Amino acid sequence: MQREAFRSARGRMERSSNFELFAWFFMRISGIILLGIALFHMYYMHFVVDVAQIDFLTIARRWDTSSPSGALWRTFDTALLFFSFTHGTNGVRYVIEDYIHHNGMRVTAKVGLYLLYFVLMAMGAYVIFAFDSEAWLAREDTTSLLRLIF
Amino acid sequence: MVSSAYDTLIQGLQYRGREGQWSWILHRLTGLGVFLFLALHIFDIYLIMLGPEPFNTLSTIYHHPIARVGHIFLFFSLLWHAFNGFRITLLDFVPRLWKYQRQTVWIQVVVFLATFIPSTIAIMLAIMQGAE
Repeated sequence: MQREAFRSARGRMERSSNFELFAWFFMRISGIILLGIALFHMYYMHFVVDVAQIDFLTIARRWDTSSPSGALWRTFDTALLFFSFTHGTNGVRYVIEDYIHHNGMRVTAKVGLYLLYFVLMAMGAYVIFAFDSEAWLAREDTTSLLRLIF
Repeated sequence: MVSSAYDTLIQGLQYRGREGQWSWILHRLTGLGVFLFLALHIFDIYLIMLGPEPFNTLSTIYHHPIARVGHIFLFFSLLWHAFNGFRITLLDFVPRLWKYQRQTVWIQVVVFLATFIPSTIAIMLAIMQGAE
């Protein structure tokens, strides 16, 4: 088992040393960026906004493109999405390569991981850019509907 | 996969790597935890495209006290992963600090507790206020 682990680690290094070096560097750079933006996101959403108050209107106002802060929040959220999910996906890739020694299963797991990455990145980016906050905020029933529910 | 996970567990318990090993195990577990939450979180934010009603109905799940206890786990994971990751990065880029690596773990534990304990208290107070 240890010999297999050694072989797969060595095979990995031989295959793509440049990519692994880049991945190593990316984990550290994105990690430092996330130390700032992910912890700020957690602090802000939990203790400034308050999780219990977050609803549709909170997000619609946050992303309101009629004010400059809306564009700023969309930029911030894009950075948060990209760095956190790329950092996380590469971390899961490390775990897969460390613990799944069976070649077929390892490849399957990695293909599944990359599919999940592209699908969720596309969904996340689509929401940030396609969400029409102005149209929703202009609708009278957006606010009145909220009053009905809560 | 199961046998390699079993080997990892047994070898992990036998190997006496002390602070560095335990912080590494926590780094992996918390990282996987944050990744799972993140995948869920991207999906739930995507549902905002469907309009106010479905999104707000879903949000009530996150407002439930059980979910808010889950937030404490999320804070634990993210804070540990963030500060341990920073410690690793610091040691990687400033190798002469390696002779103090055991001490850096304890500094990290102090920074972690100084942020995690107030966060936990704040979340628990918010849960209790919501329950009244």
